[in-house]
Amino acid sequence: MPQFTSEALVLRTYRLGEADRIVVFLTSDRGKKRGVAKGARKTRSRFVGALEPLTHVQVSYYEREHRDLVRVNDVEMLRSPWSALDPDALTYVGYFAELIDEWAPEADPNERLYRLGASVIEAMVVGTPTERLARYFEYWLLRLQGVYPSVLACHGCGADLQDDGARLSARDALFLCPGCLGGSQGPALSPASIAFLREAARARPSSLGDLSWSVRVGRELEAAHRVLITTHLEKELKSMRVLKELRH
Amino acid sequence: MTQLDSLTQLVEQLQRLPGIGAKSAQRLAFHFLKNPRDEVERLCDALREVKDKVAYCSVCSNITDVDPCYYCTSPSRNRRVICVVEEPHNVTAVEKTREFNGVYHVLMGALSPLQGVGPDDLKIRGLLERVGNGEVDEVILATNPNVEGEATAIYLAKLLKPLGVRVTRIAMGVPVGSDLEYADEVTMHKAMEGRREV
Ligand SMILES: [Zn+2]
Ligand SMILES: [Zn+2]
Repeated sequence: MPQFTSEALVLRTYRLGEADRIVVFLTSDRGKKRGVAKGARKTRSRFVGALEPLTHVQVSYYEREHRDLVRVNDVEMLRSPWSALDPDALTYVGYFAELIDEWAPEADPNERLYRLGASVIEAMVVGTPTERLARYFEYWLLRLQGVYPSVLACHGCGADLQDDGARLSARDALFLCPGCLGGSQGPALSPASIAFLREAARARPSSLGDLSWSVRVGRELEAAHRVLITTHLEKELKSMRVLKELRH
Repeated sequence: MTQLDSLTQLVEQLQRLPGIGAKSAQRLAFHFLKNPRDEVERLCDALREVKDKVAYCSVCSNITDVDPCYYCTSPSRNRRVICVVEEPHNVTAVEKTREFNGVYHVLMGALSPLQGVGPDDLKIRGLLERVGNGEVDEVILATNPNVEGEATAIYLAKLLKPLGVRVTRIAMGVPVGSDLEYADEVTMHKAMEGRREV
């Protein structure tokens, strides 16, 4: 049984029998894995705190021939979202984890996705405001998949979207200027939202607190990203629906 | 239905129980098959009875065979302090301490974005009504010490504080009988945070 040790992000766990858990985690080097953590539901298990969603861990596991499930041997907590300074962060932990889980293919290394996730945990710990972190995370997640539409120029006429803002054409998942929009209706992005996205393209997540932000920018980006995510995943995420409920 | 079909049926039903896999289900099924009839019937009766007689308290959502439940009606319990827990069996855990003399509120779960459990799926409205009547001094949030339980506690605190009630959260930290060497950084941090004068 070959043993591997790598850094990983815990995405979710499922109960297994009386005392065990199945853990889904994204490794830095070998993609997403599913494994059995024996005894992980006992209070005194050494795993117990490290298996919360979105914990950055060092995991060692055995791969077993002809088995999809690896065997988790040890998990050590490196960074935990519990250390987040913004109390709202814990509510978003499941959402971030579900998004990574949806986009991380099994056993196919995706180091950039892993690094994005790890940087988001780090940003939580240093106190980055959660809502803009969420919008940043969605933006980069979609960019890494190559599906975030250009925020530079209108797809129709090439006009600079910073001038009059943009609207998301939900049908083709593209940003258009108000002039080119025609009959299609979609979430609108004001020039301030476009500016945030352009800065987010260069910013580190831990520096998001310095970018200009308003409630309106937050609402606009949230609506546009929801359409993009739902379009590309072809479903609405459970966690997305719950977050929406929590705010109303 | 042949005899073997009914055995398969039983195995299938048992397998739906939490913590029971295919092997355990088969073992249990054969156990029932071998057991005397009256013993199996007693189990069936107990199952039927629990569904007929046990209900949820209309005040606190705890399981009970009279409504409102024992805790909600007992004159010796302090109704000005409410302890909020996730599940009915958590009430038993708090009662074991024999320290708590207030009443309970069972949420029937915790907020879980990953499992699609939102505020409307929990018994939150009833809690707000109880506190909103102005007859409560303190709400103790005793949801589980994991991400979901903590997020639920934070959410509830936001709703409860504007009602002018004292909101507290149970302490988290190192389990009794363990060794600090094995405490992870979060547990240790929480333990330090919740330290007290001796
Ligand atoms: Zn245009
Ligand atoms: Zn009651």
